[in-house]
Amino acid sequence: MVLAQILLNGILLGGLYGLMALGMALVWGVLNIVNLAHGALIMLGGYVVYYLFTLGGIDPFLALPIAMVVMFCAGFALQWGLLNLVVRSKMLNTLLITFGLDVVLTFTAQLLFSADFRTINPSYAGSNFPLFGLTVPIVRLAAFGVAVALAAALWFVLNRMPLGRAIRATAQNLVAARLYGVNPRVLYAVTFGIGTALAGAAGGLYGMISNLTPYIGASLTAKSFVIAIIGGLANPFNVILGGIFVGVAESLTALYLGPTYTDVISFGLLVVVLVLRPKRAVRAA
Amino acid sequence: MNHRITLTSAVALFAASALWAGTATAEDVITLGASVQLTGTNANTGRYYRDAYQLTIDKINAAGGVKVGDKSYMLKLDLLDNQSDVNLSVRQYVQLVSADKVNFLLGPFASNFALSDSSVAEKYQIPMVQGGGASTQIYTRGYKYVFGTLPPADDYYASTIEMMGKLDPAPKTVALVAADDSFDVSVAKGTRAHLKDAGMTVAVDETYREGSSDFSSILTQVKAANVDAILWTGHETEALNFIRQMKGLNVSPTGLSAFTVGVPTADFRKALGDDANYAFGMTSWLPDASLKDKWFGDAAQFATEFTAKYNYAPDYHAASGAADVETFVEAIEKAGTLDPAKVRDAIAGIGFDSLYAHVKYGDNGQIVLPQVVVQIQKGDMVPVYTTDFINKAMYPVPAWDKR
Repeated sequence: MVLAQILLNGILLGGLYGLMALGMALVWGVLNIVNLAHGALIMLGGYVVYYLFTLGGIDPFLALPIAMVVMFCAGFALQWGLLNLVVRSKMLNTLLITFGLDVVLTFTAQLLFSADFRTINPSYAGSNFPLFGLTVPIVRLAAFGVAVALAAALWFVLNRMPLGRAIRATAQNLVAARLYGVNPRVLYAVTFGIGTALAGAAGGLYGMISNLTPYIGASLTAKSFVIAIIGGLANPFNVILGGIFVGVAESLTALYLGPTYTDVISFGLLVVVLVLRPKRAVRAA
Repeated sequence: MNHRITLTSAVALFAASALWAGTATAEDVITLGASVQLTGTNANTGRYYRDAYQLTIDKINAAGGVKVGDKSYMLKLDLLDNQSDVNLSVRQYVQLVSADKVNFLLGPFASNFALSDSSVAEKYQIPMVQGGGASTQIYTRGYKYVFGTLPPADDYYASTIEMMGKLDPAPKTVALVAADDSFDVSVAKGTRAHLKDAGMTVAVDETYREGSSDFSSILTQVKAANVDAILWTGHETEALNFIRQMKGLNVSPTGLSAFTVGVPTADFRKALGDDANYAFGMTSWLPDASLKDKWFGDAAQFATEFTAKYNYAPDYHAASGAADVETFVEAIEKAGTLDPAKVRDAIAGIGFDSLYAHVKYGDNGQIVLPQVVVQIQKGDMVPVYTTDFINKAMYPVPAWDKR
């Protein structure tokens, strides 16, 4: 019973992990930017939902789409004004600029929001229901559902819509895409905007499950990075599966080895993936 | 030639002015140096120290400063932000003593910082009085220049366990959950011993990595063990996650759950809302008017002034920080000199009443104080127990769905 409950915990948490990594994987795959500020964007999304909920009185799940629109605009502007300068440039440049961005966003957040702990705490935040003797936390289940739904939506856009075809074409062959009338500057900004919107949604859900401070970003970036590598950058569902894989691995580690070792395992998995499937990981990167 | 003369005279003039400025400030100012977490993951608690140091220094200066012999000195704070990075904080303490030439050192927040930073004080033989580190590891190295105003971490749960023995029905099985850093390892070690003495069984004993946000695996095991009590130790942000996930996974021990940190902090209670109710915690300080103070009048007035100036209520971290500044003033006036070694000896022999407690350091440099057990009752923090019950505990704590 304990094992079943722990597997369930891992799967539900893993879905959210996957959503966190989804935006990072998209931006990495299409723009070749390893966005070290991704965690900071998740954090900002969390604050948007927090303020919509506490000041605007909007239910956090209804606030998610609003936060996604806000974060899309922020991401679009960021790519248009700043990151387009380094897109497809050397990896070091993109790492440097996104690292700088991370620092700026984090400290701006402390100035604006203070270092106080914030939780997005609707009345049903702690509710749960029993299922075959297991306890299912409602918010975690809903977060899992949102993560899968957003992954499905992203898959649909990428594979069935003209915009998605343009995004994939640009990622595969810039010259050919241009010949077909794609404006890469706009397309990059849209792609980064989508990635940021996904980060925003993940942030809102994270604020409901955990708590927000300006400093949660760094560890979330690291986790997203691991999952993006494990899940690959091509298929949104694989990223979610990667998240679930890491979530379950962490939960089992906490049960059998002790909670001290969860990070060792998730980063250990990264090493194992890179050793066993280096070609895929390198190609994906 | 002309050029060289101008340059030489400019250098001479600059040197003279620097010398003059140096002597003018060095004569009547005592500088207290500290590196505190103003940004980064510990910024939330670090601010208590920044604000308590500054408020206390301002108050003492307004009352005429520090008297050494027949001369008055003003206190000055040299505060650096260590960005919640232990390595940076050690470098900053080295900078404070070697480059900034501060007279004395105040501490950072948290045991792991104090553990490393106090080595700088010891090496340079500059007394450090710190109110942010409670781990006994800080005081078991034979250091002579390190003093602390937080009581030993080993005994944090002593009063809680004593109280548990007097509750009806008394909890018999306990889950002990601790983070893996210096402070919490000390707490867990001491708590195991106290539980053994009290005849209670540790049914679940789990250590988690500092900074963890997911406790679902631990909570699942705690639930399966069906314990009477949870004794938890870690950091505030982790306590928040733990309590929220307790509710999400419907984990409620039949007796109570208690936390070393968080419960006395207003921000913490606000973040949790109603879910904070019934949680037990502890504090080494309450803003009580019975704690008389030479500068602030009493602890209640300190709390009022602190809140008015900084817009949030002080907790024991702040009071402990204020006591550190006062320790230096008392010790310097007693020693009648700024000589670090003599002031160190004066601190070791000191005994004075302050807004925080009666300040007196043990042979190892650490203060000994009882922890007051507190409980959040209907949104307010209520003191429940020290050596006997002060107020009625709400016990046993009802399950989440019966509140």
